[in-house]
Amino acid sequence: MDDSKILYDAIVAGNAKAALAATKAALAEGVEPFELVSRQMIPAMDEVGKLFECEEYFVPELLLAGRAMKGALEVIRPLLAAGGVEPVGRVVIGTVKGDLHDIGKNLVASLLEGAGFEVVDLGTDVPAAKFAQAIREKKADIACLSALLTVTMPAMRDTIEAFRQAGIRDQVKVLIGGAPVTQQYADEIGADGYSDNASAAVGLARKMVGVGGQPN
Amino acid sequence: MTSRERLQAALRHEQPDRIPVDFGSTGTTGVHASVVAGLREHYGLEKRPVKIHEPYQMLGLVEDDLRQAMGLDVEGAFALNTMFGFPAEAWKPFRLWDLDVLVPVDFNTTVDTNGDLLIYPEGDLSAPPSGRMPRGGYFFDSIIRQEPIDDDRLDPADNLEEFGPISEAEVAHYRRIGARAAASQWGVIAALPGTYLGDIALVPAPFLKYPKGIRDVTEWYVSTRSRRSYIHKMFEKQVEYAFDNLARVHAAVGDAAFDAVFVCGTDFGTQTSTFCSVATYRELWLPYYREISGWIHRNTRWKTFKHSCGAVEKLIPSFIESGFDILNPVQCSASGMDPRHLKSAYGRTLVFWGGGVDTQKTLPFGTPEEVRREVLERCEVFSRDGGFVFNSIHNLQAGTPVANVVAMLDAVREFNGSAKGD
Repeated sequence: MDDSKILYDAIVAGNAKAALAATKAALAEGVEPFELVSRQMIPAMDEVGKLFECEEYFVPELLLAGRAMKGALEVIRPLLAAGGVEPVGRVVIGTVKGDLHDIGKNLVASLLEGAGFEVVDLGTDVPAAKFAQAIREKKADIACLSALLTVTMPAMRDTIEAFRQAGIRDQVKVLIGGAPVTQQYADEIGADGYSDNASAAVGLARKMVGVGGQPN
Repeated sequence: MTSRERLQAALRHEQPDRIPVDFGSTGTTGVHASVVAGLREHYGLEKRPVKIHEPYQMLGLVEDDLRQAMGLDVEGAFALNTMFGFPAEAWKPFRLWDLDVLVPVDFNTTVDTNGDLLIYPEGDLSAPPSGRMPRGGYFFDSIIRQEPIDDDRLDPADNLEEFGPISEAEVAHYRRIGARAAASQWGVIAALPGTYLGDIALVPAPFLKYPKGIRDVTEWYVSTRSRRSYIHKMFEKQVEYAFDNLARVHAAVGDAAFDAVFVCGTDFGTQTSTFCSVATYRELWLPYYREISGWIHRNTRWKTFKHSCGAVEKLIPSFIESGFDILNPVQCSASGMDPRHLKSAYGRTLVFWGGGVDTQKTLPFGTPEEVRREVLERCEVFSRDGGFVFNSIHNLQAGTPVANVVAMLDAVREFNGSAKGD
């Protein structure tokens, strides 16, 4: 068991170089990859989420922590797969058709990865059929749809409708987010959840796959 | 009161005869070309294609006949070049999906394999495209052109290519628009060269052919935390350039031409929070803004206009300390941006240019009666003792029902009528 907090501290500080070095050093010392994820990376991203929610951290700090976490995860992920460790859930994420904005979507994707989810990022301007295909192929538990623009919000409704028509609506939980999106809109279009920030989106996703509620 | 006197009174925090109204004078108080076309038809104006004066957001030019029909009071004195680095002049026909419009002659596009529209900096088809409009979309987004970043070789000068001394052609342009503005019956707000500090819309530099430095949006945001000395050096130099450019513009146009100037459009708010702490704003932005605003206030009568979307209530005292006279778009739909609180806490100091109606929900998706009710309420709250220019929260977006826009304008007229006791 590894009791050091070097990787944890590096992620919370958003120091990608230090996070990568700490990961490599811990693995070289024989620390189990799963231990690094569960004892350092997930708690670190929880802490980053808490700091964001109490407005000590803002978008730049979230982005830096996400990068630090991602760098470490790239080293660890193949080892987890080789060891047969299952992700806590599988997520397909993308910005809906007609919308090219991706900062919010990328933040959610990286925080979800940090929380132990397997994330398939479809990018921006994603047609409903592409979401549906990825959900089927990846056996996704959750589909996260993002939109920044008022004019592209209706594509969220269209995408959910396409899931119904494809017969996969009941197989996947649909979470939506983005500046103009509200809980009321989520209810109107039949989404399963809405979050107004990236940190809370992770808590929601965890809840959807039955691994606890909000992180804090 | 003339429109100009009305705007000036509102900017001085004096009660004008009625609330001045703006649509179309800036890149953040504008109207999408499709809505301009719909309004021209609604008001029975001469049938002619709308001119796209700002191609990035596909904003349509609000000409004098439409300005009169809509009951507006403000016109814009635009910069020489658009966001894609070419002037809005020498018009040519263009079909935007199902709408016939006029675009500047250097508005050169190609269609990629997805059917997306690509546009080129300075209209140069041999340069990499700098903007993309998804097939069936309504406006462009910047294509990120980021060279690999080597922190040891980063030079703030690379991010300053667009903020250097303005050309003689730009000075001549200001002389022309200044002469026109000085004689205008409308209130006038002008775009200024090079006073934007870290505006995320400008960071990717869609107007440059081969931008250098930090041009990726995410990279810029993290740099405000991780490369702060780089940004300080950049802003220091930018302010130095701005002083020279402002002096040349002021010499070319004089004092009487402009009532307000658009100083900076950097967004500091998200829907629910800010992009940085108050402490970061005060360290990284405030000193430079204060220098720019200070120069303007010492040397001109222009009022300084600051645009920032989002939940910026906590930053407003620092905006005021930065020397900003006017806040736009006053996003009342964001956290903490309650109209009554904003007016009572900051209304004696700050002019609210916006906030008239929500554009995320009410205006695009509400009924005309819902629009009317919200507009009347906002006018009631914001208009007391001047300090209010009616505008929606940011541009009128494509797809906004014309009936709702008309309901909005009629509600302002209704309020103005009752305020006068008619």
